[in-house]
Amino acid sequence: MIHAFLPFFRWADHTAVAVWIRDSTWIFALLEVFHLFGLTLLLGTLVVVNLRLFGWGLAGHPLSEVASDALPFTIWGMIATMASGALLFVSEAMKCYASAPFFVKMGLLAAALLFTFTFHRYLTKKDAPPSATTKFAACLCITLWFGVGLAGRAIAFF
Amino acid sequence: MINSESFNTRHKASVVKPEMTLYQICQALQDSDFGTSIRESIWTFPAIETVHVLGLAVSVGILVMLDLRLVGAGIRHIPAADIMHKLKRWYLSGFIAMFLSGVLLFWSEAEKCYRSPTFRIKLIFLALAGLNALFFEIKYVPTMRTWDTTGITPTGAKLVGWCSLICWLGVIGFGRWTAYGMK
Repeated sequence: MIHAFLPFFRWADHTAVAVWIRDSTWIFALLEVFHLFGLTLLLGTLVVVNLRLFGWGLAGHPLSEVASDALPFTIWGMIATMASGALLFVSEAMKCYASAPFFVKMGLLAAALLFTFTFHRYLTKKDAPPSATTKFAACLCITLWFGVGLAGRAIAFF
Repeated sequence: MINSESFNTRHKASVVKPEMTLYQICQALQDSDFGTSIRESIWTFPAIETVHVLGLAVSVGILVMLDLRLVGAGIRHIPAADIMHKLKRWYLSGFIAMFLSGVLLFWSEAEKCYRSPTFRIKLIFLALAGLNALFFEIKYVPTMRTWDTTGITPTGAKLVGWCSLICWLGVIGFGRWTAYGMK
């Protein structure tokens, strides 16, 4: 099934941007730095919201207020990681094609985005009081996003 | 006999002694059995690095929210004191994880870190971040309840927020860059 995507990976690997990043000694490093800035903002704000959803952390504040304060920064974190991540990807698309952790990461990312902006967002918006459902949703959200980070780190090593 | 003598000399080199220079200490750490076993491992080094990065995301991520509140950049509902006190166990756990994993990473590549200019800049930013936090603790935390809930942050506390953001960007940026510069 992955074979079907091979032309896309080949195309990405040959784009002018990819060549430009590969030819430079420091652009890749700089992109990694921005990827990490974004990741810090993204995961940090998600931890705060999910602790609250679980009934811990900022328990004295309404869930919807914690979520609305954190959300813009979560989105900025996503923008920074995804923009830098897209450039990192094209610069070594063929390496990613051969990397199992890369596909695991993309699968988890799709699941994490879908869950965060649908059911998770619905719970935080309607100020759902702590219950088995909110606790499960908080754990799932954190597991998915930290799974993305874990699989991402694994691309570099395996 | 010759073999045992050369073994002894080699072994002595990896023991830290008081008269050693900082460079020699770093070299001894990197050459120690423990440092070598981390560096040459298949799973341990990546695992420690992962703990370092994820610990960073939790601790600095929460800290960034506090800084954003201080500088007045969009955290409208949650007072700084609540972020500081109610989330303390979480960001402190993250910091401990980050610090311990950082010590292990340094141990395994101490000599390379010694020679890395970016690693030194990272440590300077880290020290500045620490001093900045200490200043905030002494100067602004005791009176926090009086200004925090009103939403009017003293200019000095705002500056602390900006300094913290800059310092941590420096720590993360130069930390990540250290991994590239090391040969």
